[in-house]
Amino acid sequence: MNVGTEAPSLPSRPRWLRVVGVAAVLSTAATVWLGLWVTPPDKVQGNLVRLVYLHPPIAWVALYLAFGLAALSSLLYLWRRTRSLFWDRLAAASVEVGVVFNALTLATGMLWGRPTWGVWWTWDARLTSTALLLVLFLGYLALRRVPAEPEVRARRCAVAALIAFVDVPIVHFSVIWWQTLHQGATVLNANLSPTIHGSMAWTLLLGFIALTLVFVWMVTVRYRIEVLADRTDAEHLEVSLAERWAEGDLDGVPSNGANGGNGANGGNGAGGVLRPPTRVGP
Amino acid sequence: MSYVDAGYAVGLSVLFLYAIGLVIRRRSLERAVDLSLPPSDSAERTAETGGASGP
Repeated sequence: MNVGTEAPSLPSRPRWLRVVGVAAVLSTAATVWLGLWVTPPDKVQGNLVRLVYLHPPIAWVALYLAFGLAALSSLLYLWRRTRSLFWDRLAAASVEVGVVFNALTLATGMLWGRPTWGVWWTWDARLTSTALLLVLFLGYLALRRVPAEPEVRARRCAVAALIAFVDVPIVHFSVIWWQTLHQGATVLNANLSPTIHGSMAWTLLLGFIALTLVFVWMVTVRYRIEVLADRTDAEHLEVSLAERWAEGDLDGVPSNGANGGNGANGGNGAGGVLRPPTRVGP
Repeated sequence: MSYVDAGYAVGLSVLFLYAIGLVIRRRSLERAVDLSLPPSDSAERTAETGGASGP
């Protein structure tokens, strides 16, 4: 595990990432083409059904992929055997992407609700629990910004992610547990019998695949940003300590964690007098 | 503009802008790491990752 002033090693950029990126763009473009121009209008909803090719796949990514991965990573961080800052960084990356998709779930849902229900927003169980989910994971992102040792931050964020994730099954089952304006599940319903067929079903499936690829690309890039940010933080601290050591400012300063760090690294364990930092890692 | 067009415009443009933001953030951090590395390490890393280009 990376502790202290050790800079995390920088993983090489995966070669498959470019392939995933290109596949994500092409499949998203195909979904838009099929959804807007090829598939027929619905008998009941008319052209509004075209939003179905976008809204459920976005919600799928936010709720099940992004927040699911964040909860799983948090669990693996909290489990002593698999504890590693890798899981903490993966959870952070996944939550940020999930928050973007969650906000889009609400936005596209409102654009569907206004012409269908006559209102932009209603305190319906599905809508309210989805909005609560956004607030909970925004809280997670705020918690990550609170200065703390990496392990302390990782532990408290893992717990926060697991608490926030409790809302996901509530969102999923809200249309069954309560009388809601929101329609029931089209694909993942109680009988597992999709209520959509033909070109509409294939376009919806392609939408799910496209946005899953977009999610994989975004989380991978966001994870790398997390590693790079940790590394630059650690290096910045090393340089600052080295400069202050060279100036002789640190002689005699007790190593109590209040020695000019950014909160992410703490003292160097030198026991009263700070030593020049030893460079660790590549 | 219909609600359908607005939905696609909002959804796709937000995802596109977020993706661009991710690439910019990653490139600036990669540059910062490159600048902080000794010249030999920096050259090795550039060769390994193919520089700061691509997604």
